[in-house]
Amino acid sequence: NISTEQRKAESSDEQEDFLRERHVRFFQRCLQVLPERYAPYETSRLTIVFFALSGLDVLDALDVVDKPSLIEWIYSLQVLPTDDKSNLSRCGFRGSSHIGVPYNSSKGPGAPHTYDSGHVAMTYTGLACLIILGDDLSRVCREACLAGLRALQLEDGSFYAVPEGSENDMRFVYCAACICFMLDDWSGMDRQRAIDYIRRSTSYDSGIGQGAGLESHGGSTFCAVASLCMMGNLQEVFSERELKRIRRWCILRQQNGFHGRPNKPVDTCYSFWVGATLELLDVFQYTNFEKNRSYILSTQDRLVGGFAKWPDSHPDPLHTYFGICGLSLMGEAELQKVHPALNISVRAFESLRRLHEAWRQKST
Amino acid sequence: MSSVEEISNPVAENLEEDGVEEENTVEEAEMEYEEPVKGGYIFYRDRKEWADLEPVPQDDGPNPVVKIAYSEKCKYVFDMFRALLKNDEKSERAFALTAEAIELNAANYTVWHYRRVLLQALDKDLREEMKYITAIIEDQPKNYQVWHHRRMVVEWLNDPSEELQFVAEILSQDAKNYHAWQHRQWVMQEYKLWDGELEYVEELLEEDVRNNSAWNQRHFVISHTSGYSDSAILEREVQYTLKQIKKAPHNESAWNYLNGILQDGGLSSYPGLLEQVTELQDTCSSPYLTAFLVDLYEDITKIYKKNRHHSKPVIKLCKLLAEEKDTIRREYWNYVSRSLQNTYGSGDPVASSSDPPPPSSSQQPDTEPSDP
Repeated sequence: NISTEQRKAESSDEQEDFLRERHVRFFQRCLQVLPERYAPYETSRLTIVFFALSGLDVLDALDVVDKPSLIEWIYSLQVLPTDDKSNLSRCGFRGSSHIGVPYNSSKGPGAPHTYDSGHVAMTYTGLACLIILGDDLSRVCREACLAGLRALQLEDGSFYAVPEGSENDMRFVYCAACICFMLDDWSGMDRQRAIDYIRRSTSYDSGIGQGAGLESHGGSTFCAVASLCMMGNLQEVFSERELKRIRRWCILRQQNGFHGRPNKPVDTCYSFWVGATLELLDVFQYTNFEKNRSYILSTQDRLVGGFAKWPDSHPDPLHTYFGICGLSLMGEAELQKVHPALNISVRAFESLRRLHEAWRQKST
Repeated sequence: MSSVEEISNPVAENLEEDGVEEENTVEEAEMEYEEPVKGGYIFYRDRKEWADLEPVPQDDGPNPVVKIAYSEKCKYVFDMFRALLKNDEKSERAFALTAEAIELNAANYTVWHYRRVLLQALDKDLREEMKYITAIIEDQPKNYQVWHHRRMVVEWLNDPSEELQFVAEILSQDAKNYHAWQHRQWVMQEYKLWDGELEYVEELLEEDVRNNSAWNQRHFVISHTSGYSDSAILEREVQYTLKQIKKAPHNESAWNYLNGILQDGGLSSYPGLLEQVTELQDTCSSPYLTAFLVDLYEDITKIYKKNRHHSKPVIKLCKLLAEEKDTIRREYWNYVSRSLQNTYGSGDPVASSSDPPPPSSSQQPDTEPSDP
């Protein structure tokens, strides 16, 4: 029988205490100014905003941000249909203002620009951020986003990131599924083709790779399973026997924390990618919480806040976000629960659900 | 995906700090000498060549978020890039600027796209471009855009002749680089370059028998060439894998491969498998061996409906894993044991005679009792 104070003192000795305030401040700083070495993230700044906002949401600290300003900024990233609607297949959200289109927080039509188009991961994170901030998506051109999404799907069922062309793999299948799910409209994709792509990406070891023939990986396995869950098709696409084998592949990823592939080192973010997949498959409860938690906390930066992929490494927004979500899956005190497929707080998910009900009522 | 561990983040590229460029102080020192240097120095020093172009700054509105603090140089290069983009200028100076922009941020996919537009519009030498992209990938092998660019150039040239050697070079530095393997598989499949790959895979497995990417590649090559239907091939592969297991028993990759290649036919249908694996128990014990036996017994039970004979050893093996060989997954192995008992009975003659035989369909629902 030890007191709460004693327990707190003991966990801080072992460095197993979760430093909530530090992580709140870490995310606050992310939202302000980043040093020049973050130049590679220019085109994906919106994803950093997502990590920070969704992270603050899970930390139950969204009160520290200026929601209306953020909403305006996010809407300024929407690639709006032009007057003549000739750019519908390029609509969606940008990752940042890097193209140089004039600021327009989705109040009026889009300015034509040969090289202006959305990016599937930015449309996904943009919509997610708006939902987290409590916006009703009324300035989102849903039909344009869906047209932009359809334009990205390839014959094999996978997706490009941008209409100009890019690599195509399971990450963008997931982004597409999230977009359709959030807009409550699956006309944005050919679901059967996407399902076929997922099945063809399943490896001989029953994990799922980024594409057919590729090595099975914790990230792509999450993307595939979460996409199927959002489509509502998991049990139809995989037999019970196949699901058992996927569960086995995933649960073998736990070493203390989790890694993404057999014989690779563990990394904090896989506590979410693999953990969430296991949760969607109903077996996360059978993992070892103590070892997972110990590992995640060993990557916590006690000075600066945030989490890194490994202990004694520099924290970054992505690993901070997924470290926190990894802890949330285990029911960590002070943390909001995370929806394991959509990767936003359950609270944000509930507000999305209410939005969908309002839309459906309006259309009847 | 910067360091990777590969694609450690499915959605966004890894924000790992070591993927980022440092301030190039050597460059700035050189600028003081009046030498005719190429590249960005000219842009920065000799702005009159660009005087006709009005720079286009980024516009984040009144409340910018996640603002990156660019140096004057970096801001200038990209302001000029935005200006070129706006005018859709197709010129040599535009082409040269893309290289400057890439050096500052090789992850900007718009710059790469524009460079490709210029490569075609200006009919640039694609062999030179191959040299260029080779150098960039060597420097930043975990960047998505550079590999995509290389693929485009290879397609335009319709020349894969350097690819396998190039990828092998990259893999010699990081034998598990997911981008490298992805490019390699694309080249092989697109241009039907299967010769010598099995030998290459074996070399890699000699160097590191635990390289999961190499095992995956082994499966990739064989599936696309001989296939596994030929029993001589299957036998060869099983023996090869068992040999690697004997060398390094605690190797999930080898066990996954063994299990994977025998799945289609069914573990229980491979003659002598139970005996061969059981034989390994003393010298090559591992949680993977025991788990393999669990799967093998389950397959035997399902196919031959020998629930009384085989479910008892399975439950014993699950207990061995839970309590001794794979304790981190204790709860999971207990769950597996419970599921098997629900499906096939506990192996106790009295209990199982009253159980109805399980349906033979693989669509059998998981009858796990609800946990509190």
